[in-house]
Amino acid sequence: MALSGTALHFSTHQYLRHRLVLSVLSGKPVKIDKIRPEDKNPGLRDYEVSLLRLLEKVTNGTVIEISYTGTAVLLKPGVISGGSVIHECPPSRSIGYFLEAVIMLAPFAKSPFQLTLRGITTDDRDLSVDLIRTVTLPHLQLFGVSDGLELRIKKRGSPPGGGGEIQFLCPIVKQVKTLNFVDQGKIKRIRGIAHAVRVSPQFSNRMIEASRSVLNRYIPDIYLYSDVYKGQESGKSPGYALSLLAESTTGALHCSEAVSQPGVAPEDIALIATRSLLSEIQKGGCVDGKHQSLVLLMMVLGSEDVGRCRMGEPTPRTIQFLRDVKEFFGTSFKIVPANPSEPTSGGLLFSCYGTGYMNINRSIA
Amino acid sequence: MDERPHKAHRPAQSGAKAEKKAKGKEKQKGFNEKAFAPKSGRRAERQGRRNVERDQTRLHVPLVNRTPDDTPPPVIVAVVGPPGVGKTTLLKSLVRRYTKQTLNDVKGPITVVSGKNKRLTFIECNNDLSSMIDIGKIADLVLLTIDGSFGFEMETFEFLNVLQSHGFPKVIGVLTHLDLIKKAATLRATKKALKKRFWTEIYQGAKLFYLSGVLNGRYPDTEILNLSRFISVMKFRPLIFRNTHPYLLADRLEDLTPRETIRASNGKTDRTITLYGYLRGTNYRSGMSVHVPGVGDLRVKSVEVLGDPCPLPTEESEKRRRLSEKRKLVVHAPMSDVGGVTYDKDAVWINVPGSFTRGNADVPQGEGEQMVLDLQDAGETLDDAVAKSQIRLFGSSSRPITVTPGEDDDSEVGYDDEEGSELEDDEEGSELDEDEDGEGSGVEDVDGEEWAEDEEGQPHDRGRSGPRRGMRTIGSLPSVDPKRGDVEYAESDSDMGELDGDAAQRRVTFADEKVDFEAEDEDRVSGEEREEEGVPRWKENLSMQAAKEFSSRRKQSKDWMKLIYATSLSSEAILRDEPSQSPSDNGQDEERGDDEELFTIKTKSALVGDVEDMDMTKERVNEEELKRWEDEELLENLRRCFITGGAQGDEDAGAGGEGDDGYEDLEGGDFEDLEATGNSGEPDEGDPEAKKAVELAKKKELLKRKFDEQYDDPESAKMDFYEEKKDEMARQLQLNKEEFEGVDAASRALVEGYRPGTYVRLELADVPCEFVEHFDPHYPIVVGGLLPSEERFGYVQVRIKRHRWYAKTLKTNDPLILSVGWRRFQTVPIYSLDDHSIRMRMLKYTPEHMHCYATFYGPVSAPNTGFCAFNSLSSHVAGFRVSATGVVLDIDRSVKIVKKLKLTGVPYKIFKNTAFIRNMFNTSLEVAKFEGANVKTVSGIRGQIKKALSKPEGAFRATFEDKVLMSDLVFLRAWYSIQPRKFYNPVTSLLLSDKSHWIGMRLTGEVRRVQGLHAPINADSTYKPVERPARRFNTLKIPRKLQANLPYASKPKLMKPQHKQTYMQKRAVVFEPEEKKAIALLQQIRALRKDQVARRKEKQGERKKARKKKAEKEESRKVEKDREKRKEVMRIAGIKSKRETEREEGGGSRKRRKT
Repeated sequence: MALSGTALHFSTHQYLRHRLVLSVLSGKPVKIDKIRPEDKNPGLRDYEVSLLRLLEKVTNGTVIEISYTGTAVLLKPGVISGGSVIHECPPSRSIGYFLEAVIMLAPFAKSPFQLTLRGITTDDRDLSVDLIRTVTLPHLQLFGVSDGLELRIKKRGSPPGGGGEIQFLCPIVKQVKTLNFVDQGKIKRIRGIAHAVRVSPQFSNRMIEASRSVLNRYIPDIYLYSDVYKGQESGKSPGYALSLLAESTTGALHCSEAVSQPGVAPEDIALIATRSLLSEIQKGGCVDGKHQSLVLLMMVLGSEDVGRCRMGEPTPRTIQFLRDVKEFFGTSFKIVPANPSEPTSGGLLFSCYGTGYMNINRSIA
Repeated sequence: MDERPHKAHRPAQSGAKAEKKAKGKEKQKGFNEKAFAPKSGRRAERQGRRNVERDQTRLHVPLVNRTPDDTPPPVIVAVVGPPGVGKTTLLKSLVRRYTKQTLNDVKGPITVVSGKNKRLTFIECNNDLSSMIDIGKIADLVLLTIDGSFGFEMETFEFLNVLQSHGFPKVIGVLTHLDLIKKAATLRATKKALKKRFWTEIYQGAKLFYLSGVLNGRYPDTEILNLSRFISVMKFRPLIFRNTHPYLLADRLEDLTPRETIRASNGKTDRTITLYGYLRGTNYRSGMSVHVPGVGDLRVKSVEVLGDPCPLPTEESEKRRRLSEKRKLVVHAPMSDVGGVTYDKDAVWINVPGSFTRGNADVPQGEGEQMVLDLQDAGETLDDAVAKSQIRLFGSSSRPITVTPGEDDDSEVGYDDEEGSELEDDEEGSELDEDEDGEGSGVEDVDGEEWAEDEEGQPHDRGRSGPRRGMRTIGSLPSVDPKRGDVEYAESDSDMGELDGDAAQRRVTFADEKVDFEAEDEDRVSGEEREEEGVPRWKENLSMQAAKEFSSRRKQSKDWMKLIYATSLSSEAILRDEPSQSPSDNGQDEERGDDEELFTIKTKSALVGDVEDMDMTKERVNEEELKRWEDEELLENLRRCFITGGAQGDEDAGAGGEGDDGYEDLEGGDFEDLEATGNSGEPDEGDPEAKKAVELAKKKELLKRKFDEQYDDPESAKMDFYEEKKDEMARQLQLNKEEFEGVDAASRALVEGYRPGTYVRLELADVPCEFVEHFDPHYPIVVGGLLPSEERFGYVQVRIKRHRWYAKTLKTNDPLILSVGWRRFQTVPIYSLDDHSIRMRMLKYTPEHMHCYATFYGPVSAPNTGFCAFNSLSSHVAGFRVSATGVVLDIDRSVKIVKKLKLTGVPYKIFKNTAFIRNMFNTSLEVAKFEGANVKTVSGIRGQIKKALSKPEGAFRATFEDKVLMSDLVFLRAWYSIQPRKFYNPVTSLLLSDKSHWIGMRLTGEVRRVQGLHAPINADSTYKPVERPARRFNTLKIPRKLQANLPYASKPKLMKPQHKQTYMQKRAVVFEPEEKKAIALLQQIRALRKDQVARRKEKQGERKKARKKKAEKEESRKVEKDREKRKEVMRIAGIKSKRETEREEGGGSRKRRKT
């Protein structure tokens, strides 16, 4: 009589990560096929396989079946167990790729997470560990996941060599709080971290200078930290990056980041980071574009109340995410312009009715 | 009872006493503070403490009530009790009280309107334990009927225990049959005793009602009125489980399976049924699967909101203080025979009185009679009506739609057709579907239109309720026409027409403008497949039309909801605002195309394609786009987003103008503040000065109010934790209510699901045929919504305690029937206890008077869910059936329960502290696994396994802390992990024809007993006499040399046995003559004495014998007398019972008189 045998069906390698996460959270089996069938190198990439391995490690009872060609995956999720897990991330993707997925799962585990990830800490594709620490984790705090939430950067590792290490600690919750975040406020402070490994420490100072030259005009409350890791803690490859975050009076966070590229001066890197921060601020909303899906997911998983959040335009990832959330949880969002008087600007108001998701993995007594 | 009344008190009218009284009265005016002031500090302290404690008892953990307060679902009032106690009579009396109708046949739920905003659903619970469990899970109020003349029965206590483990609803006790107790004193004592017991079971002061007797087949009206008053003032606290799950108590069942399918499969096919009822609990989301206790997990095919069959009084009748009489008559009980109409699973039965003639207007007509009369009014057949009806899609259409027979109708319509032909009474058949239509739409319509609506509306409805997927997606087509997306979009647009007002508007214009496409439109309606293959003429035009439409709409704003959920456009296309630009724009094929075509030409976009490949969170920075930030003006323009730039831009947040000040204010301001500023932003853009002034005034006002509040009453300003939480909840509820206030029903259902309180029709697919075939309205049908996590299976760990009234202990791996969440199922638990927090140790039996853990395989339910367990649900079980209760603790996919395993071995060679042990293992591989493990001898010498020996396989060397003996046993304590069996057997009692006789898995012993078999005898297990060879111990030999050196105390002091006779043995005794004489005398005296005693004894024996004889005689006489007496009693009783049976046979319907 059990109905759980029916798997949801998806195609292509795109959005693999959040589909897997949603599957684990909702407990519905998922089958993903047509993963790069026409590619020279068909099937799952090494980092995707590594992600599946990580999911297997942090859960109990998960069954993962990868087809012979690697172009199809069947995931029958188990319970999220948490605890202390160590995982080596392949050099093809940074730690952020894995950590973003784990962050969505971590509050609903059986025991608090103590995850150690080794690999590249900062690259130009995924959120760097700095941004995760300073921006993503505060977003979780909006939902009541706060005590003991920590990300420790033990070692930094730049691409291509990597060699960084982080430790992610996350408490567990019974249920996430309902979000009601409609006031985006005004930017009151800007923080930033300029880090440099295996290059001249002067590089970070140069980035800070350049960034300040643009931002100083707005507010005086700007602190950009120079963070230089040396010796054993600096990984295997040289690199530097600047991550910026702007906080509003109501606690809305916007962030941006730029990573060193060969042949580009640190000043230019800083300018890229700064300008993308400005465009992020211009987009408005209470939630940064990179964290839309995280916030929306947590809203869906909230108690059976209306959660509201104001955001900028949804990114393509977010749009697909919304559709997938509907598949998995049956929840759709009400999306209306935040200002009915001028619909084109002022952001969108996302509101949804939470599913009342409880952390049933958590054991009592 | 009728005591002489006391003499009334006559107060003195004059005199000293009267004066004193008058003076006293004067004094007592107003509140005398002194009277309540404490006399001493100590008393003051006590009083204060008592007050605080009393305040604390008022507090409960604040819970959110998720049922809407505007139209709440009817309160479920369950009437529970043992058979023959008067449940049906009580139910009939209550229904009569509310509706002025007398039901003959009480079946299924009965919904009545009881007040201006309150409805009640009555349901009678039969004596089956499964029904009691199901009712206990859904009832809001239980009327627990107890036979006053008999007292409590086992079922009552069982039911209370079931209630306890599933959240305790309110319980009102009702004592019936009190008229059977004749003596007033006995009555009083009985009442008191029963009340005491009832209070200990529920809580001190629980309400217990006394119903005296039956009049006219009902309880006395005044007593029922009182009871109904109590019911109406009842307040309900939300129960946690029901506040997290949607559920429904079905009051009507209908089988929708096509008759032909049933016939073809001999009635064995899975059925499609619909269940009707009010939604309760939380919102029901589409796609949620449900569990019907007694049937199993079922998938909901569709949900349809129906008109409320038992609506609350409306606004206009609410002006009156009391409920109008007309409203009082509303009753909804499809399974009972209200007004002579009964709804069965596949028919509607109309009972008409004996003389049923048309035109007899003076006789009041029931609902059923009216139906029959209406049927007789029908002038033409249904076929004619359909043929005549003209349906036009659009107002401007020239030709009506014609229904071609080849088209496949939806199942319901087809079924109705067949239904009509199959029934021998044609009229009844058509009546049935007319009735259905009426129910479905709530509007009386011309038949034909109704049909058409069905045809068009049905798929559209289904699309809404289920996730909209794959019906007509663009992605499914291999080569996509550039305009194709457009067309799709436009169509789905009209599909989702009700989403908002202007969308509907658009649809109208759309229809108006394309008059010339009318003919083609019909094509589209009649043959949907055609547009898949050929490209019809109208298509290009339509897409152009739609494009125009789209662009005009774009100027307004995007409807994100529609774009995301209702279209299959790729996310990029949605963002770009243009449904399709390039041929390879949508779907996932796009990337491939991009990669192949563009890689050599444009590196940039190729890069973009590559980027999308990677599933990355950060978007690739577009440096070209960032160049715009070199523009000084743009940079300045952004200043409005910072706290320093408040002066220019104040469109969204009013604060920030005064720098720090404003910022502080905004942080401090809470929800109300937000609202205020939000409002202030709206009204006028005219005069900034005036606006500013208004804002300032508002802010000042707010501050002043705050100050006033704090200054006047600093206590009230800050709420305590409890108040704060309650306030928070109230605010959230308010928000919940307001957020979707203006949204239309369809999209509201999409976003928030179906709300509790709505009357819905659930269509369930693949229901076992036995459910319909053996349907019995006396058994409640509960539909419980399952949360996504509850559909999964796993190992559930629970804390369990055997019920103290259950006679046996529970054994590990014995099947147990559990009632957890909505489900009832049989499973095999393993009991365990936590052993010093190191391991979970298996228990063979549950401990006495103690909680233990149990782990079983089954459907998952959230931790903290209560459950109760039974060994058997059968009513033939003597004794208490609730065998255990407990709570769910943990859910996992694996278990860590161990049991002790002791391996024994014997030494075969002993050195100093080393010994060679054998017979513990069989191979050296096993030994290798246990190297380093601790072993112990029976005498307590500890040791360690060192290494396997080569010679006898499985032997090993072990070292000990002392020398072991050859006779010692060596054992190794190990732990063996065990897994619970994966056995889950839902109790499918509703599928049986005999619903109370469900048989699950039985114990081996039970099976053997039924089959008359003995347990097999294992020869090794039989008891044999224990043969223990006597052990010989060698004597302790101490070498002489050593002995010589020992101190005296330690020397062995063993001496030879004495060989010579002692003095006492060898002496000779010679008596003196006097001594001899004395001894002889003594001997004689003794002989005499002996003789005397013997004679005395003989005499005594004789006397005893005589007495015994006498007593026997007496006894026999007594027995004879007793027998006589009993005979007499039985004779009288026989006469009495004979008379009684005669009376009953004579006047069966005569009711018991009140005495």
